Amino acid sequence: MSGVDPDGSIRAEDVTALYEGAKFYSPAVGDASRTWLTSWVAELLDRNGPVALVRPEALPPSTTAISLCIIGSGFALADLPPAGDEFALAVERVARLQRTRFEAVYPLAAATVSSFAPVIAAAQLGVPLVDADGMGRTYALIHHTTMHLAGVAPTPLVAQGPTGESVLVDVLTAPRADRVLRANVDTLGGWAALAAYPTTVGTLRHAALTGTMSRLLEVGRVLLGGNDADLLEQRLGAVTGCRRIGRGRITGLEHLSRPTDVTIPTHPSSVVVDEVDGRRRQLRIELRSEVVAVLADGELVAAAPDVVNLVDVSRAELATLDSLEPGDLVDVLVSPAGDLWYSPEALAMVGPHSHGITLDHPGRR
Amino acid sequence: MSRHRPAQPLTLSELLRTDPLRAAEVAYVPDPLRVVERVVLAETVERVRRVTPHAVVLLHAEAATGGWSLAAALHLAWERNASAVVVPRQVAGASSAALAQRLQMALLLVDDDPVDLALGLAGHVTAPASARAARKARVAERLAEQATLRGVLGVLNDELAPVPVALVVGGTVTAGRTAAARDRDGTDRVTVPVDGADGRAWGQLVAAVPAGGSETAVQAAAVLRLARPSLLAAWAHSRLESGASAAHEQAAFALLRRQSGQPAERGEHAPREASDVEAPAWSTGLGWRVAGVNRAVWIAPGQPGDEVPDELTHLLRAAWQRGRPDWPLVVQGEGWTSWYSGREPADVTPLRRSLADFARTATAHRLVLGVGRAHEGVPGLMRSVAEARLAAQVAREEGPGAVRWFDGVGATAALAWLPVGDLAQVAELCLPELVAAHDREAVVGAVLAVLDCGGSLGRAAERLGVHRNTVLTRVGRGRALGLALDDADQRLALHVLCHALATRWGVATTGSAPPA
Repeated sequence: MSGVDPDGSIRAEDVTALYEGAKFYSPAVGDASRTWLTSWVAELLDRNGPVALVRPEALPPSTTAISLCIIGSGFALADLPPAGDEFALAVERVARLQRTRFEAVYPLAAATVSSFAPVIAAAQLGVPLVDADGMGRTYALIHHTTMHLAGVAPTPLVAQGPTGESVLVDVLTAPRADRVLRANVDTLGGWAALAAYPTTVGTLRHAALTGTMSRLLEVGRVLLGGNDADLLEQRLGAVTGCRRIGRGRITGLEHLSRPTDVTIPTHPSSVVVDEVDGRRRQLRIELRSEVVAVLADGELVAAAPDVVNLVDVSRAELATLDSLEPGDLVDVLVSPAGDLWYSPEALAMVGPHSHGITLDHPGRR
Repeated sequence: MSRHRPAQPLTLSELLRTDPLRAAEVAYVPDPLRVVERVVLAETVERVRRVTPHAVVLLHAEAATGGWSLAAALHLAWERNASAVVVPRQVAGASSAALAQRLQMALLLVDDDPVDLALGLAGHVTAPASARAARKARVAERLAEQATLRGVLGVLNDELAPVPVALVVGGTVTAGRTAAARDRDGTDRVTVPVDGADGRAWGQLVAAVPAGGSETAVQAAAVLRLARPSLLAAWAHSRLESGASAAHEQAAFALLRRQSGQPAERGEHAPREASDVEAPAWSTGLGWRVAGVNRAVWIAPGQPGDEVPDELTHLLRAAWQRGRPDWPLVVQGEGWTSWYSGREPADVTPLRRSLADFARTATAHRLVLGVGRAHEGVPGLMRSVAEARLAAQVAREEGPGAVRWFDGVGATAALAWLPVGDLAQVAELCLPELVAAHDREAVVGAVLAVLDCGGSLGRAAERLGVHRNTVLTRVGRGRALGLALDDADQRLALHVLCHALATRWGVATTGSAPPA
């Protein structure tokens, strides 16, 4: 993977790039928490020193590791910022339960503000951060991971809330974990630091997507250096393998374009973009907590697990989904997810059907 | 045993005019004449992937959740060459209609349950002949409700859209859409003759159907034939309501005159040339044709100042339109205006025939007629009306039944505008002996003839059909009664006075038998 440094580290000056890269892999992220989160983490890294970012192959296979992420509402996180010890506490509670000590942490999802969680924990606990994650982007449910596909159980897991309370979850089947957990998140304060998937680095070598944190940083650096949309997309393509589906103007924002269900949060809606050049197709971008599908003139051209981004052409920066307005000129980019996500089992879990879009992924037709 | 030709499949436009799709909102239909061979009720988008060409696809359940599902269904329907996609109204937004337009795929929005709708549609699609029969019955009902030409043509255009339909009378579109009568590439013309109440050919209904669409042509002809009784009834209705229609036509003509740039009726002395004034669409609703070359006729009472009673208008309308039902008759002050419109200005044969037919009526009611020249368009019509009116004034000299053509009137038209009554009163003061004389008509006739003939007794005698000595005697008698013909200063005034008196007294200025 481009930009991977086996002996790399994450320093205070990398925090801004980390935040930008996290947005690329989850375009639904708004900027509500940006200022305090980046300031806090930068200060933490300044105080505790850089966090070592190590590829799984560079650590002994027996090294114990646990994943971290932030679960719950981004708005709640902005309203009720962390006390600061939630991430380390979550790790320690699982360690206490398992009578072990975790020698490394890794991100459950190298995307969104969740990508900050293992960095904070690593800095506080003084352990390395494994350059691998379970999603390579973000999915809505905590069992939508490559670890789950590889048979690694998410439990026991601990959700540590900002008010000092925590919930320990142990379930018989992985999909139940999310159900049980979400029922408690509101009570914990609307969000919680989650420590899950306790395992070893040896397992992660085949059960996780490697190099994803260093890729995130690289993407963030590219995004921070962009002042021309075409050039920006060219550089992003070199790092992520993304390609442009089309450039167009937003002509409509529609809501509730498909039935909701209870398993995946947030309401479905659509963005309609009319291409301004080429074949002048109508692009329909279907949204949930992420972009789940892109149809060009009604033909499915990209769908989850592909990562779909919109680039604001005039500003040469990522357009977050909550900032879209009719009339905006945007580029629609699609990046492939990790190869593990295109197996029939993975597609059944996170593909278009899981979002109520009963069309086969374009890669399978 | 004869074998019936299988019925052609219904078209989208036919289905859209038949329940249950009649209530559907058309979001986009690129080709209303697309045939529909089957109906598919699609519960999933995947089902649309298997539809066969020329199917109407009704989306319901999961396939009708809108957004991506409608977009995908439209795309698949396009791939499968379906004829249309039908969805519940709440599912489709502006972007869906835009995508339908991009893919050139018909998109219809409905409020009814798609399952019920599919059943009803399937019944029609599998039995097109009965669907067409039902439609014809409904069209016949709609036509029967119409009381005007415009209404009948409106129903025809609505029912046959996008095929344009027009009523053509005398080569000109009288009602409906002019596109029907225009020669265009890619269209065939369907023509159905329409006879008048007297059984003679009156006009024809014309529809421009897409070339090669034999079934469309057959259906169009069938619907046009249905309209014939309604057309005749509408025509008769307009005749029965002549009182109301007379006032209507009078107002419409005044409006037409104003639109042509002439402010008032009297202003027609100097019609303004405004060839770019187009015939207003409403004029065809009255059955008027004004777009071509127009030639006007003015019918006037034999004596100026006579009132125009309503009863006489009714009588004249009946007589004037007996042979030419499409020639209007509009009350205009102290007379009536009519005109006919054609493509050939020189062709006056129909007019001469009508004038001959009308002669007996004109004489019986002591009417005279003037005929204007042929001019182009609405301003030309107004000019022709002004000319016809002048010619009719001149015709008064010749007595009841007279017809004068403006081409032959020339400067003598000026005399027609002389205030004859006022001049006669002047004569009573200036020439009391003449006015009181018992032989005044003969004297004035002879003096006028001599003055008209430049002082030639011989030509005057020839014109009057009397001996030269008789003329001489009467002129001498005129001198004795105060007509100072030898005084050059008075001669013009005496000439005008004699003209006025002759007109007033009805003196014949020509002989009873014209010279050979």
